[in-house]
Amino acid sequence: MKHLKAINNKAHQVDDAVKTGELDEVMAMQTPVGCTATTDPGWEVDMFGSVAGLCQPMEADLYGCSDPCWWPAQVPDMMNTYPDWSKNADSASKDWRNLDSVYPDDKE
Amino acid sequence: MNRNFYKTLFLSSIVMLLSACQGSNSEEKITTTITTSGSDKEYLITVTRPNTTLHLVDLQTNKVIRQCDLPAGPGPGTLVMSPDNSIVYILTNHFSDIYGVNIDNCDVVFSTQQSTGNIRVKSIASIAISPDGKEIYTHQNRVKIMNDHYEMLPPQIAAFNTSAGLNVEASRTFDAPRQVTIMDALESGELIIGGQDIFLMDIHSGKYDVILPSLNDKQPGYSGKDVLSVWQMGKINNEFYRMYSRAKFNGKDGDLANAEYLFGHETVNLETGKAEAKDFGPVETVLFTSIRRPGQLNRVYATLNDLKEYDSTTQKLIRSIDLPYTYYCINFSHNGSKIYLSGALDSIAVYDPDTFEKLAHIKLTGDGSMSTSIIFKRQG
Repeated sequence: MKHLKAINNKAHQVDDAVKTGELDEVMAMQTPVGCTATTDPGWEVDMFGSVAGLCQPMEADLYGCSDPCWWPAQVPDMMNTYPDWSKNADSASKDWRNLDSVYPDDKE
Repeated sequence: MNRNFYKTLFLSSIVMLLSACQGSNSEEKITTTITTSGSDKEYLITVTRPNTTLHLVDLQTNKVIRQCDLPAGPGPGTLVMSPDNSIVYILTNHFSDIYGVNIDNCDVVFSTQQSTGNIRVKSIASIAISPDGKEIYTHQNRVKIMNDHYEMLPPQIAAFNTSAGLNVEASRTFDAPRQVTIMDALESGELIIGGQDIFLMDIHSGKYDVILPSLNDKQPGYSGKDVLSVWQMGKINNEFYRMYSRAKFNGKDGDLANAEYLFGHETVNLETGKAEAKDFGPVETVLFTSIRRPGQLNRVYATLNDLKEYDSTTQKLIRSIDLPYTYYCINFSHNGSKIYLSGALDSIAVYDPDTFEKLAHIKLTGDGSMSTSIIFKRQG
């Protein structure tokens, strides 16, 4: 491996696993996506294809979705991946401006 | 709790009846009995952000009389009370940890962090307490976190000794079904597990069986039941309770195009263990929680964006109003005279169940998200 230089996360994990003797634990193409298998619709429509069943206002449902990782595509997953997402927004209805987009952490 | 209330009410009535027969000599006896009954004050307890903030509300004054701030992240805020209503156990910190808090002084008297090492544990609103208050039970969804992949482990029920103090480890575990949310315990000690079906587990041997089929209900003419249930709302009626929806087929079984959709409830009587399912009304909008009215169990009240009343005998909608905003969680006073709506944003709304007139608005702080509310009685 001395002629190869790790440049992405997977390669860094391979490097680390070689050092700790845990190479068998690193698997290619084994990326967890989201943390739930629910297929509920997003914010746009309710179970009837309308909007009357959506929470009102949207902020009333914001942490009800992010806390349990309900709709990971629309809201950051606070259960596992971004537990501190709401730390500057105790009230979703008042502090929503402090809620930002999230991005994966890049490793050095 | 409810049974105690009616027992007190019944005894009060007997004493009053006897005093009427016996004349004025029994006045002191009547007064004593009524005073004892009246001194049991009613409280509501729930949690909100920031972190996990516990709110104790005096329902005589509708004032928050105590707040306890726990050093734990939010979610889901599922609560169970000790049998003497002195300690509340909170499933919180991103569905992982449990804290037992003395509600008189905010002291943390119990805690457990379920995740250990590279085993991450999540409980999806799955917490129950034994009838004697000596054990807490959780359903554990476990995953082993490897360097770059996860390894699913079998789910299990874990038991914790409530007198063991802080940072407690499970005293025993049992294999359990997957996809479990709310749980409760029968007065005889068996654990009720709400999953794809409703299961009853012997908490000593770990053996469990289905006591009420739900998703796997094979009743001809109907689909299996669809359940969204992370709020345990039956305690006020001394029952395990969860709401379902299902399709009633008007043509062939499985013909969804011509089906009608019904709401219903599954209940398990905590005293007798009797398990029942009953449709209570048509699905016309989305509802998250419902509850049976104490003293009139055929009247079912439900909420999300609306407040609705159904008669489960006729399966008709009786009354409905739009709410100012969404509430996840519905609860009742012990005597069935007031409805309490909570969860979602930052308030508790009080409604008259007979008129749907709004009686009070109790302001909290932060955000309730998917937390549960518990209404209980205790002296002083």
